[in-house]
Amino acid sequence: MNRIVGIDLGTTYSLVAYTDATTRKPVCIPDAEGRTLLPSIVSLDTDGALAVGWPARERLLHQPERTAYSVKRLMGKGIDDVRDELALFPYRVAAGSEQVIRIQLSDKIFTPPEISAHILRELKRRAENFFGEEVTRAVITVPAYFNDAQRQATKDAGRIAGLEVERLVNEPTAASLAYGLDKHQRALIAVYDFGGGTFDISILRLQEGLFEVLATNGDTHLGGDDLDNLFVEKIREEIREQHGVDVAGAVDLYQRLRDTLISSKHELSSCERAILRFLLDGKGEFTREISRAEFESWIAPIIERTLGPCKRALKDAGLQPAQIDEVVLVGGSTRVPLVRRRVEELFGRKPHCELNPDEVVALGAAIQANILSGGVQDMLLLDVTPLSLGIETMGGAVAKIIPRNSTIPASATEMFTTYVDNQTGVDIHVAQGERELVKDCRSLARFTLKIPPQPAGLPRVEVKFLIDADGLLQVTARDLRTEDEQTVEVKPSYGLSDDEVERMLIESIEHAEEDFAASQLIGARNEADTILRATEKALKEEEAAELTDDERRQIAEAEAALSDALKTEDYKLIRERLEQLNQATHRLAELIMNSAMQTAMKGKRPDEVNL
Amino acid sequence: MQMTEETTIREKKTAAREVGACWSCGAEAQQRHFCPACNKVQPQPPDTDFFRFFGLERKLGLDTAALERQFYELSWKLHPDNFHNASAYEQELSLAKSAVLNDAWRALRDPVARVEYLLGLEGVRREGDIKQQAPPDLLEEVFELNEYLEELRDARRSGGSSRERQELRHRLEQARHTFEEKMDAVLAELTAQFPVFDAANDGSARKAALNNMSEILNRHSYIRNLVRNVTDELDEE
Repeated sequence: MNRIVGIDLGTTYSLVAYTDATTRKPVCIPDAEGRTLLPSIVSLDTDGALAVGWPARERLLHQPERTAYSVKRLMGKGIDDVRDELALFPYRVAAGSEQVIRIQLSDKIFTPPEISAHILRELKRRAENFFGEEVTRAVITVPAYFNDAQRQATKDAGRIAGLEVERLVNEPTAASLAYGLDKHQRALIAVYDFGGGTFDISILRLQEGLFEVLATNGDTHLGGDDLDNLFVEKIREEIREQHGVDVAGAVDLYQRLRDTLISSKHELSSCERAILRFLLDGKGEFTREISRAEFESWIAPIIERTLGPCKRALKDAGLQPAQIDEVVLVGGSTRVPLVRRRVEELFGRKPHCELNPDEVVALGAAIQANILSGGVQDMLLLDVTPLSLGIETMGGAVAKIIPRNSTIPASATEMFTTYVDNQTGVDIHVAQGERELVKDCRSLARFTLKIPPQPAGLPRVEVKFLIDADGLLQVTARDLRTEDEQTVEVKPSYGLSDDEVERMLIESIEHAEEDFAASQLIGARNEADTILRATEKALKEEEAAELTDDERRQIAEAEAALSDALKTEDYKLIRERLEQLNQATHRLAELIMNSAMQTAMKGKRPDEVNL
Repeated sequence: MQMTEETTIREKKTAAREVGACWSCGAEAQQRHFCPACNKVQPQPPDTDFFRFFGLERKLGLDTAALERQFYELSWKLHPDNFHNASAYEQELSLAKSAVLNDAWRALRDPVARVEYLLGLEGVRREGDIKQQAPPDLLEEVFELNEYLEELRDARRSGGSSRERQELRHRLEQARHTFEEKMDAVLAELTAQFPVFDAANDGSARKAALNNMSEILNRHSYIRNLVRNVTDELDEE
């Protein structure tokens, strides 16, 4: 029950994994159909029910206005950050989206953490069915380049889903754990993580089980979605010229084209050419052959954007590309041949792709979960904060107090005083970023220090800024004159308030009761099927001939009663009838077991018998 | 339940702080990272001296390889991941202590950062007070460099010919190289002062050495900033 699972909450796909206690290897948990991937898609039914994953993906083509995908791109952001991107999504944005984006699906409003919570809850349920017990603790991965607000939004999503988020782990670092699991040498590795919505590059040093991140860089607005969007734009233009139809005019037409082109993109990763065929709703068909070379010429500038962060990370780590021993590819978009070529060119060596790029992050999260549980003593992760932390100073400049790529946990202490007599508050504005002016950085939070009235310059308040192992900021203040610790009320610039998270958590608990019943039902049904089959098999054994007619009748009645119960949704009833069947078959089981033991014990001396 | 555990712990903590005793078993902890008797992690005193954190004297000459080994050793022992199943109080302690460990490592591993830290510690410089001073012997080169930078920015803005920009790039790269060499020279000047400071045995000798290093540091900061600006500009291309 103290189990911690590892979750990759991805832009396009999400996964859940755990570490097998016997093999000590991480394993992804499949759904009932054996699939490990869960599309990060949520769709609202006409009757108000929510579909998550593969069923929701279906709805994307037919009811795109009720379907939300790639929501990770909206986490921890306000409306101003995503205006351009939103134009390409079919969702409507509701009012009040300055600090948290509010998406409208049909008549309901959702924030990105709530949608992510639905995805997490689906994974939670999958794990619970797999283990046959409750799962409440998880390690969740985030892009290394995620800022404080984006990380907090992920933690909020976990909470709303009923999960205790034990740690947030950076995706490239998680991937390096999965990669380096069995390797005990020294190496410098570069992890190139090109996912659906975000790009990360991390440079790590591996030595005797210690995974030390030297530098990290990336772009949280860059991913496979951008390749798709570009592809759609190009073809949309051609369709407009050739057929006079603008696919952007009809949302479902647009999504269908997008879906078709995504398949073509996949095809072009293994074939030199692909045929595009798209039906235009009674206005004919668009066909066109496309070569890989042509596709590459279109996407080249996007891939090029990944190289700048790579070079910056290498510079921060103080390394030349040639000094990197291994390059690891993560994320579905690294299957694109052009990506592999450019990476090989940059580092002068072939990148590793033997690990499944879709699963490796979740596997790494499961390893970190195992480290936290105490199941692994010989691995340690030293990660870094990706962005410099600074405080706004006079004139709108920003003074950096914790530089980027500092190993975390990290802290800085600043002294504050007043400039006016009897000033009772000092306003502090904290930001993340590398620029000189605060307006070019990412506003993180604001708070006010309370100062007892004194002549100007006399007060001395020490503020400690601490970035914890999740990469989140904690602030404590101490009045040096009184030695009193002040509780600092930090107002985040982006994200949900504590009240909102509370409310969403309560709502989700209501859902959770439904969910619990649903998973109990599945569990009970599975067990009932197994026992019924076993009973039938047992009745055909020769030992069954020794049953009395009465016993045989009782078994038949119990089987029938159980079969009836299986037609209902009442898991408690199913369990009751299951228990009755177990009692009715008790003697049959004994008969079979005794006979088996006699066979096993034939020819053995009493002291040879293992009981 | 956690609240009462925490309150008793806090009471113990305050009591222990006065005596230097372990909050858990009461043994003499002598401000060590871990209690020598029960091995529980100890609180980090505020206003920690980074040199003392690593058990070092306040000297500028240090064995960086040994420091790195110590950093890794302490990382293994102090990282919050190791305390995930420990009490809330111990988790707090390990978080605070590993932050100091990482801060101390960052401050001491690099000679420039080390001097900056020491100057702050000795009150010669306030932290965050970065002064810069143009090296007098380089004024002409600095002037020229700033001119090239302006020219490059203008050329980019007005869409100058690629050959023009290529030439400017080349000149800027050469100028940067000159300054990088100068920066290395000034760094050597700085590190040459380390044994002087370390050998100083009275207040005034220390003060003199510190002021000297402060002045050298100002020159180093100026050139470093210049090199950074040029690199940023060239990266834009």
